Amino acid sequence: MSFPVTDELPTTKHEAYVRVFDDPDFKELRKRYSTFVVPMTIAFLVWYFLYVVCSNWAPDFMSTKVVGNINIALVFGLLQFVTTFVIAYLYAQFARTKLDPLATRLREQFDEEVGK
Amino acid sequence: MNSTYSVVAVAVVALVTVVIGAFGLRISRTTSDFYVASRSVGPFWNASAIGGEYLSAASFLGFAGLILAYGADMLWYGVGWTAGYLILLVLVAAPLRRSGAYTIPDFAEARLESVPTRYVSTLLIVVIGWLYLMPQFQGAGLTLRTATGAPAWAGGALVASVVLVSVVAGGMRSITFVQAFQYWLKLTALLIPLVLLVRFWVGDGSPTPAEAGGTDWSEWLTPLSGRDHSLYRTYSLMAATFLGTMGLPHVLVRFYTNPDGRAARRTTLLVLGLLGIFYVLPTAYGVLGRIYASDLAGSGRTDAVVLELPARVIGGTTGELLGALLTAGAFAAFLSTSSGLAVSVAGALSQDLLSRRFSAVTAFRLATAFAILVPFVLAVSVDDINVATSVGLAFAVAASTFCPLLVLGIWWRGLTPYGAVAGLLGGGLASGGSVVATLADVAPSGLAGAMLNQPALWSVPLGFALMIGVSLASRRHVAPNVNRMMVRLHTPEHLDVDRGGWTPEHR
Repeated sequence: MSFPVTDELPTTKHEAYVRVFDDPDFKELRKRYSTFVVPMTIAFLVWYFLYVVCSNWAPDFMSTKVVGNINIALVFGLLQFVTTFVIAYLYAQFARTKLDPLATRLREQFDEEVGK
Repeated sequence: MNSTYSVVAVAVVALVTVVIGAFGLRISRTTSDFYVASRSVGPFWNASAIGGEYLSAASFLGFAGLILAYGADMLWYGVGWTAGYLILLVLVAAPLRRSGAYTIPDFAEARLESVPTRYVSTLLIVVIGWLYLMPQFQGAGLTLRTATGAPAWAGGALVASVVLVSVVAGGMRSITFVQAFQYWLKLTALLIPLVLLVRFWVGDGSPTPAEAGGTDWSEWLTPLSGRDHSLYRTYSLMAATFLGTMGLPHVLVRFYTNPDGRAARRTTLLVLGLLGIFYVLPTAYGVLGRIYASDLAGSGRTDAVVLELPARVIGGTTGELLGALLTAGAFAAFLSTSSGLAVSVAGALSQDLLSRRFSAVTAFRLATAFAILVPFVLAVSVDDINVATSVGLAFAVAASTFCPLLVLGIWWRGLTPYGAVAGLLGGGLASGGSVVATLADVAPSGLAGAMLNQPALWSVPLGFALMIGVSLASRRHVAPNVNRMMVRLHTPEHLDVDRGGWTPEHR
């Protein structure tokens, strides 16, 4: 069992690697990724936990009836599915418009450098 | 209940599965075909296949049963199973693809440059896979017994043999098509009877459980009531489902069947849509079950609610036909999830145990037989518990072991092989021990019992703490090439850096 991870890469490619890592575009790419993902992750966790918090500390609010026997808890619960999808959609949009163009530019630079 | 329709329905599903599997045989020749369908599956088919594979007996039968028994609290199973996919997408999917590894053991070995870490991961893949397969076989036994009165082992045996034949014949490529077909079958099988059931319910004057002689409606609808320590249980369930999805052996490998990262994101989006639509249906069955079949909760047969509702509510030939359709859908659920799991467990077993003694394809076929037989024997020898609860335990083990490994391995360069092994073993023993206590029904009552029934809330932090603590104590043993691996993991997907070109064929 041998892994190419531990194999030596051709020097040109390896140096190109390091330069990619130090490239401002690459730094910007990582920054953009984390400025989107970190707040979003926190936001959706808060949103999910809010349901449990409301259920535990505001049961009267949660059992308020909206229509017939449908109460706020049930509506809240179904909304969780919808938000999951909305967040994933936002992420895909973000990746397509904000991450992909930068990544493409990096690839072009890299190809030029390695002389592919 | 007239069983002829159900027998025909089950036979058709089984036959179609085997036929599509056999069709795939002509296409899959190389190892890469077996594992990742040669990366040539489009987003729509791939998403349907992921949905088909992911929606197991737990989603099809168990979830509705839990809603029937416990009400609004149980929505968390559905929400958690969906949200777990989102967390997988945002935190680990892209870096893991870039690592070039096909499975978690591959990733563990590549990232930590440690063969023991690989073997511990393989062991856990097998344990989680077996834990997840067992309730599928139990659900099959229950379904066939409900539909035809056959003995409990017969349904499990049927599912086990169909999976064996189709996986051994076709590998991953053929099961992609089988599973895509099975997603749509499952959705249809729940949707058509539901429309007729709701029409009947409205025509019936839309009774509530109180009017229909059931128990109190308000307690059932109010979250966090009706079970002891329900706040703890809810948080623990959230931890298990949110964080466990990324560690399920049959889920990750699917991301490799997309041609590129963008297709993988589109696939995930489609999957979330498909799952979200699907989970509304069993919820509705649970609510209707509360009205028309509340006695099932008392007799502990809640898993049967989806199957029995049409016969109870509508009756006659229509009821029987709808029941047969649901039975077919349930078998699609068992078959699709079981084949996905069987491929993953067999993949891990054949790579690490059998590949040196046999050719790759022979090793894979032998491993498949082993991967299916063990959980089948477990399923017939362990008492039935709700299938969704049982699957929840597999999630808890995955969340306590692979979630720390993946998250720390991808985002923290300080993880060492010692830390990884300590966390995998510690988290695995803690959650696995709880599973054994729950399955053997020796868990005490009170808070300790709740902690053993739903271990994730304490066993996941334990796994993380062990990995971080032991890694800090063994700081000298950080993998020598960790920097290059980190560049590889976090370099944009379509940047053509050398990712090692590592595939199973090169082993």
